[in-house]
Amino acid sequence: MPPLAQKRCFKLLDAIILSTVAALIAFVFYQVDSVLAYEWDWSVIPRYLFRRDESTGDLVPNLFVLGVLTTIRLAAWSLFFAAIIGGIMGVMRTSTRLFPRLLSRAYVELIRNIPPLVFIFIFYFFISSQIMPVLGVDEFVRSASPATVTILEWTASPPKLFSNFLSGVICLSLFSGAYVTEIVRAGIQAIPKSQFEAGASVGLSYFQTMRHVVLPQALQRVIPPLAGQFIILIKDSSLVSLISIQELTFFANEIAISTTQVFEVWIFVGLLYFVICYSCALAFGWLERRSEVYR
Amino acid sequence: MSADVIREQPPERIALPRAKWWQSQTFDVVQFVVLVGGLVWLTARGADAMGYNWQWYRMPKFFWQVIDGELIWGPLMTGLVTTIELSIYSMFLTIAIGLITALLRMSDSISGQILGKVYLESVRNTPLLVQMLVFYFVISPIIGVDRFWTGVLCLSFFEGSFASEIIRAGINSVPRGQWEASASVGLSRANTYRHVVLPQAVPLMLPPMTGVLINLIKHSAIVSVIALFELTTEGRNIIADTFMSFEVWLTIAAMYLVITISLSMFVGYLERRVRRRE
Repeated sequence: MPPLAQKRCFKLLDAIILSTVAALIAFVFYQVDSVLAYEWDWSVIPRYLFRRDESTGDLVPNLFVLGVLTTIRLAAWSLFFAAIIGGIMGVMRTSTRLFPRLLSRAYVELIRNIPPLVFIFIFYFFISSQIMPVLGVDEFVRSASPATVTILEWTASPPKLFSNFLSGVICLSLFSGAYVTEIVRAGIQAIPKSQFEAGASVGLSYFQTMRHVVLPQALQRVIPPLAGQFIILIKDSSLVSLISIQELTFFANEIAISTTQVFEVWIFVGLLYFVICYSCALAFGWLERRSEVYR
Repeated sequence: MSADVIREQPPERIALPRAKWWQSQTFDVVQFVVLVGGLVWLTARGADAMGYNWQWYRMPKFFWQVIDGELIWGPLMTGLVTTIELSIYSMFLTIAIGLITALLRMSDSISGQILGKVYLESVRNTPLLVQMLVFYFVISPIIGVDRFWTGVLCLSFFEGSFASEIIRAGINSVPRGQWEASASVGLSRANTYRHVVLPQAVPLMLPPMTGVLINLIKHSAIVSVIALFELTTEGRNIIADTFMSFEVWLTIAAMYLVITISLSMFVGYLERRVRRRE
C-alpha cells in the first residue's frame, strides 16, 4: 500500500492532463472537419432505431433495436447452457478420479488456448455443418405449430433464422462453458475440506455430499462471477456476427455499408454496448451489495 | 501389565481393500484416450460421410517450399511472424498505457483519476471486435495510421486495461512500511519507486504480464477483420483458394495452441519461482 494520498486538489498534473485532453479533442475536430471533410448526419441513428410500418403507420423496431434484442437473447441462452456445461465440468474438475479431471482439464485448456475467433470459425465449419442437419432443426421449425413459432419468436429468433441462432448459442455456450467451469471449480474449492469430511462422517455418499452439503454453499460463491459472465457474453456475442448471425454488430456493419455514415454508426454502436454492459455491471454490483447486507 | 509391554506389541495392521483394476489411474488414462480417439474418429467419419476430401498432403507447402534449392516461406509462416510482430509491438505499448493509467489512478489529481476511470470502463464494457471496428473506421482515418498500427493501437488499448490493474496490484502489494522507511531515510518519491518499490513489485507482476502477452497473441486473431495479414487472415485466404477448411483451421488452431500452451508453462515456472522466494 502506498501512503494515503493527500487531499484531492487542483495541481500542475491536472493542468497538464486537461490541456492534453483539450488539445486531443481540438485535433480530432480539426482533422474531421478540415482534412477529412466528413459530412455528419446523425439522423441515420433514429431512422434505424425505429421505422414506420408502411401499411399501418405504426412505429416498429428497426435493425438497431432488433440487433440489441438478439444480442441479449443470445447472451441469455448461452449463459443458461454454459452454466449447465460449466456446472458438470466444474464438478468433474474437482473429482477424486483422474478420468473426469482429465476430460474437463482438456476441455478448458483447449478452449482457453485457442483464439475465440479461430474457435468460432472451426465450430462453424465442423459442427454446424454436421450437427445441424442431424438434429433436424429446420424440419422441426417448419412443422411447428403457430403457438410454438410465437414462443420461439419471443424467446429466440424468427423461425427462418432459428437454426442460425441455435448454432450461435451452441458456439457461445461451448466457448464460455470453459470459463464457467473454472468459476464453478473455484466455488467448490473454496468450500473447506472439513465440509466434505463432515458429509462423509455422517455416512453420505460422494454424490449426496455434493448435492446436500457442498453445492448449496458453492452456489453462493458462484452467482456473482456468473453474473459477470453474462456481461462478458454480451461482449463476446459480437464475435458471432462473423459467422453471419444477425445480432447488433452484424446489423451495424450492414447499416454502415448501406448508409456510408460510418462514423455515426460505429460510435453509436460502441456507446450502445457500453450502456448495456455498464448498466448490467452497476445493477449486478448493487444486487451483490444488497445480498451482502442480508447475509 | 506395565506400559513397556503394551508398547512392545506390534501395531495392528489395517488391511486396506486392494484397489480394483478399474480404480487404477492407468484405467482412467485409457478411458480418456479411448474417448478422445472415438471423438476424432467420429469427426473424421462425419466428414467422410459428407463427401469431404481430406488433402493433408497439400498442407506442408503452406509452411515452406524448397524451389531450386532455395527456401521460400509459405503464407502460414509469414502470417505467424506478423502475429508475433504485432503482439510484441503491442506488448510494449500495452505496458506503457498500463503504467500511465495505473499512475493516473493512483495519483491525487482529480482529472487524472477521472481519465483513468473513463478509459478503464470504456474498454471493459465494449466488445473487442467493436473496438477494432471503431479504431479501423473512425480513429485510424482521423489520426492517419496504416492497418498494422491500427491493429497494434487497438490491441494495446484493450490489453492496457488489464496491464494497469496488474501494475496497480503489484505496487499496492508492497507494504506501507516500505514507503515510510524510505521516506524516513530521506528518499524522494522517484527514488523510492526506483530503489525500494519497483524491485519488490516487478517480480510479482511478471507472471500476470506474461499472461497478458498470451492474451495478446490470442486476441491478435481479431485483426483479421480489418484484413491485416496475420495467421488467421492467411488461413482464411488459403481456404478461399483451396477449400481445405478442415485441414487449415485445425493446423492454425494447433499453431496457436503450441504458442499459448508453451507460454502458459513459462508462466507456471515464473509463478513457482516467485512463490519460492517468499
